[in-house]
Amino acid sequence: MNTSAIVQTQNLTKKHGSINSVNKVDLYVQEGEIYGFLGPNGAGKTTTLKMLLGLIKPSEGTINIFGESLNKRRSTILQRTGSLIESPSYYGHLTGLENMRVMQRLRNVPDKNIHEVLRIVRLENQKDKKAEQYSLGMKQRLGIAMALLAFPKLLILDEPTNGLDPAGIGEIRELIKSLPARYGITVLLSSHMLSEIDQIATSVGIISDGNLLFQGSMESLRKKGRSAIRLKTGDNTKAEELLLTQGYSLTKGGSRLEFDNLADREVAEINRLLVEHYIPVTRIEEQKKSLEDIFLELTGKERSL
Amino acid sequence: MIKTLGLEYYKIRRKKIWLMITLFLGVEMLWAFMSITRSIAKNPDHAVWESIVFNISSMNGLFMPIISAIVVSRICDMEHKGATWKLLVATNVRRGNLYAAKYICANSLLLFGILTQAVMMIVFGLMKGFPGTPPIEILLQFIVVNLLTTLAVTALQQWISLAIKNQTFALCLGMLGGFVGMTAGLFPGEARHIFIWSYYLDLSPVTFHYTGSTSLYITQPVGAGIVLFALAMTVLFYIAGSIHVSRQEI
Repeated sequence: MNTSAIVQTQNLTKKHGSINSVNKVDLYVQEGEIYGFLGPNGAGKTTTLKMLLGLIKPSEGTINIFGESLNKRRSTILQRTGSLIESPSYYGHLTGLENMRVMQRLRNVPDKNIHEVLRIVRLENQKDKKAEQYSLGMKQRLGIAMALLAFPKLLILDEPTNGLDPAGIGEIRELIKSLPARYGITVLLSSHMLSEIDQIATSVGIISDGNLLFQGSMESLRKKGRSAIRLKTGDNTKAEELLLTQGYSLTKGGSRLEFDNLADREVAEINRLLVEHYIPVTRIEEQKKSLEDIFLELTGKERSL
Repeated sequence: MIKTLGLEYYKIRRKKIWLMITLFLGVEMLWAFMSITRSIAKNPDHAVWESIVFNISSMNGLFMPIISAIVVSRICDMEHKGATWKLLVATNVRRGNLYAAKYICANSLLLFGILTQAVMMIVFGLMKGFPGTPPIEILLQFIVVNLLTTLAVTALQQWISLAIKNQTFALCLGMLGGFVGMTAGLFPGEARHIFIWSYYLDLSPVTFHYTGSTSLYITQPVGAGIVLFALAMTVLFYIAGSIHVSRQEI
């Protein structure tokens, strides 16, 4: 067991009938990280996060948070954890401030925390309005404020920017990014939007159909985006035969000849070879894989993100 | 636990549950008082304290199941509407404590209603000049047996209200209970003891007897067996509901 891990799961599995909605997931979130839990809709993100909070019981596997077993030390762990799961939770007949008071009683925190978090999420001018009269974005802000109220060590946010307008998304993004440095909070957030995770997260876990397909730093994920060189010639069949005899390995043939990881010198050499054999080169293109390409390659699905 | 209970009272602010209970039971009392006034006009022998206790007990069979269903539903439904059950559980509130706090909160509100009824009965009796002083023992018995029946009814209602999000089920059960409670006197004793709502009348300290062409109110001892049966139902509904709701995945 790694002691520097804030969240660590082993073989975490949730079965619904014969289907594993979460299958042997080994999550690893280090202190001070913003961990982006990325996956298409229905991939198992929310189920995993609910298991981390003890809202549902895992079918198999273990969960350790702050180095302690969730099974044995649930109460201590939850005291240091803030969360916003699925849609924001609130009492519609109470005002924003009264909703915060409910959380204050549960968390035993001073009044100044309420005012600070309301200021952070920019709800201080709306605090006396009933929560049921809030817009979806305001409800989301209230949910985030309630999760932040005790300035927990670990903040678990499930799709935190749902329902926010572009300006709101930007604000929440900046807020989340500031949390580790400003308050020492480790953030675990889920999203189905790759661009969001790309802009916020320092580490990422990609889940699809319940399986954790990738886990590591954002940097290591980006490194997977190797560039490819694509060629178009006057006679692709002849060019392909020639290049194969010269020891070049193509990743794709047909209308475009594609090579992975070619150095500039090799690109010039291929061009020279083709021209010398009277094969006209009409296009030389470099194509770099976007994060979206990598994601789709990993999940093997052409889903909208 | 005290914190969770305090929170329940905080959360029901602006729900106007006190007012609703007062108005609902106020209508019942008005109905009962008018009925007794008419009865006394026809038969002056009915101007006794027992008449008001019996009439309110029998009308509670109709009104209390419905008001219990409404009160419990109002207290439980706010957790469904705002998806706050997951918020509370993820904030380290034990589900068993939450269940108990809601149960105590609902019953304390209904106890307020029953106590108000007792006070109103005394006021009515004094206004009508019923002979003798108010029968404290009978009134205390009335309060205890009404609360005992209400404890079982709310245990059942809370189970349904928390287990099933759509409150129509819980409210329909309350109305069904009201119907059974109102018509309980028509069922044979063995049959009606199955239904908790009939206990408002069954456990009443006063009953009504027809002897030939006359009728009279007489006090009756509360049977230990039926009290135990009511307690057993309370425990059964409460434990079953608490276990079921605590095990539900959120």
